[in-house]
Amino acid sequence: METSLIERLDKSRYNLLKWTTIGWAIWFATIIGNNFEKGHIFNTIATFIGLLGSTIWAINFIKYRKFVRELRWNRRLDKALNNEVHVFNVHRSFQIGYLTMIVTSSMGMLVSIFIQIPALLVTELILYFGLLSSMISLLYYNRD
Amino acid sequence: MDNPELSNQIKVQRAIRNITQEELATHIGVTRKTINTIETGKFVPSTILAIRMARFFEISVEELFTLVEKE
Repeated sequence: METSLIERLDKSRYNLLKWTTIGWAIWFATIIGNNFEKGHIFNTIATFIGLLGSTIWAINFIKYRKFVRELRWNRRLDKALNNEVHVFNVHRSFQIGYLTMIVTSSMGMLVSIFIQIPALLVTELILYFGLLSSMISLLYYNRD
Repeated sequence: MDNPELSNQIKVQRAIRNITQEELATHIGVTRKTINTIETGKFVPSTILAIRMARFFEISVEELFTLVEKE
């Protein structure tokens, strides 16, 4: 009974993280895409897709926060789910996110030597790739 | 965290007691994935977790985890 509960919660957490990542990938890609003038239709479609992505992200992010908060009430389950392997994987994924941010900002600096790029675009790219790489790597490390 | 110098007897001990990774995980208080990563040598557990596992199997930590001697 308890066995299946831990496994079920672990699976739920994985799915919430997966859908949060998908939502983030779609939503923020359209925000970055809107920096480029492509015409009215493109921007309308991008806004629509972005709205869909942001909804997926928001719903799953709220669910994830709720999940984490409720887990605190049961210390044994909290310890079982946030065990040392999971903590180690979180640290590894943060490292990857940090490295990606450094690489993205370096690329931005390199490109800015040849062409002028807006600071807002570079900031968005750093945030997008940094968070995305961190979430994808956490999913990869926590895969079955 | 991969460590080729450390081998473990978790799979053997599980087979002796006829228990699954999931059942072991419940007794130790971790997830099945954690047991799997330790069993396959992808993660070296902390001393606390190693002692918990050894106690569960009623053997010493050194019987459960062995250093592979290099020539």
